[in-house]
Amino acid sequence: MSNLKVNIAGVEFKNPIITASGTFGFGREYDRFYNIEELGGMCTKGLTIRPKLGNPPPRIAESYGGMLNSVGLQNPGVDHFLQKDDLYLAKRDVVVIANVAGSSLEDYIAIAEKINESKSDMVELNISCPNVKEGGMAFGVLPESVERVTSAVKKACPNKPVITKLSPNVACIADNARAAEAGGADAISLINTLSGMAVNYKTRKPILFNNNGGMSGPCVKPVALKMVWDCFNAVKIPIIGLGGITSYTDVLEFMICGARAVQVGTYNFNNPYGARDIARDLAAYVEENDMDINDLVGTLILNK
Amino acid sequence: MASLKDRTGIIKLNQKVAKDVYKMVLQFEDMPADIKGGQFAHVKLNDKSHILRRPFCICDYDMDAKTITLCYAVVGEGTKVLSSYSVGEKVQVMLPLGNGYTPDKNVKKVVLLGGGMGSAVLPAIPTTNPDLEYYTYLGFANKDKVVLEEEMAKVSKQLTVATDDGSYGKKGFVTNILAEDMAKLKPDVVFCCGPEVMYKALKKALEPFDVPIIVSLEARMGCGIGACLVCNCKVKRAGEEETYVRVCIEGPVMKLSEVVL
Repeated sequence: MSNLKVNIAGVEFKNPIITASGTFGFGREYDRFYNIEELGGMCTKGLTIRPKLGNPPPRIAESYGGMLNSVGLQNPGVDHFLQKDDLYLAKRDVVVIANVAGSSLEDYIAIAEKINESKSDMVELNISCPNVKEGGMAFGVLPESVERVTSAVKKACPNKPVITKLSPNVACIADNARAAEAGGADAISLINTLSGMAVNYKTRKPILFNNNGGMSGPCVKPVALKMVWDCFNAVKIPIIGLGGITSYTDVLEFMICGARAVQVGTYNFNNPYGARDIARDLAAYVEENDMDINDLVGTLILNK
Repeated sequence: MASLKDRTGIIKLNQKVAKDVYKMVLQFEDMPADIKGGQFAHVKLNDKSHILRRPFCICDYDMDAKTITLCYAVVGEGTKVLSSYSVGEKVQVMLPLGNGYTPDKNVKKVVLLGGGMGSAVLPAIPTTNPDLEYYTYLGFANKDKVVLEEEMAKVSKQLTVATDDGSYGKKGFVTNILAEDMAKLKPDVVFCCGPEVMYKALKKALEPFDVPIIVSLEARMGCGIGACLVCNCKVKRAGEEETYVRVCIEGPVMKLSEVVL
């Protein structure tokens, strides 16, 4: 019998399609296009302990087959989330993953304690936002700090499985995956955006006000696939893969490389039904092949 | 409940109307029931190398013909690709998006002010509000750039076209020309769309006149529906701290007095 359900750290997803943080708000906007309950899960916009204004515009630029963003973690703050969106999302049959960020260990602990009392199903630890000076990126580079912040959040948030979101802008992502596992992460997600720049040759200025931004979209998929495979061979905890997914075949590729679930981000901008369409197409494929999607995970056959 | 749709538009016209400027007419079988002047359409290009949609103001629309008109300048890769599409080709369009312009109840006499491609926002305003009186001022860099003169002549009680270099119509900045006419015009509102530098000039030029100025903003966009927060602009509302609001939801139409330029 075919099966599309996946389980990550004890949380069941009706399908492995999750929308990526920062591309899906708190679900309400895309709810106007389709019932978000068709998705396996959704990650909230990155939350911080206090409201954050974010970077001045421009905050987005296109690149070939992708885009760069430098939003800078604009969000209404965790308390606003707890009073409004958390309650809205709790009524929906979709796994809700609260994405949290901070600029100090104390910030991460404080926000983790609040999310611990929320209705969200899981917490995703953003230690890899490249767009704010201390947007957690400081914690995302060195394995020691990945372990330290993961372990602190784990202690502060014992009620929720913790997913540590890894940055690709590091020396060895597998080392950071191991560090997250050592810190007690229940799962890891990767990759966050790749650090990049878009330049206007006429003005000789970067297009983004922030100069640098995070690159995402189909152009980053090969990097993401390789890093998922590297991490799959480094840790035992489940992996959520993301980076440039725009079709169900992309999902299959990520799962073959070791992802147990995936996140769809940039594609939501291209096609507002994108994540839902991928979930539907994947369901049809699994049905047609009478397979359990979990049997695909990590089945990559190397050439030598 | 689903209240927004991505719609398939069939290209009925995609024609060059001025230097680097195209007019595109799109027809929709499932034409949205309500469109308001000042709203925008988020157009997907037919290849994934251009992953981001392009937001264009709805220049005009025709409910009976089930069409919208876009008027766009070729300024980059995306608009270049769009200009190459043929009649009969299909594109995916999210519409109508944004707040659009709702005139206050006391408004009778409206000045429509367009700067360059910003003029493309104007034609839909009289289509939505046919009972108001329009005095239109269009400003362009030079005669090669003049667009929408004919369209605006039809719906305006008075139309003034100006070019910065005087190669067509009156010579000079259209904001200054409007300022000279303000005392005798006494409009209830000035609705303007143009570049940011024009808004700065307008604010100054109309300072002596107690008239509300409404503007339509342009921004690089991601989702177009308020989820991604990339199109934000800074506003300062009375009694509040400066903050960012989404051009795609809280805009694109805003009070000039609240926009931090």
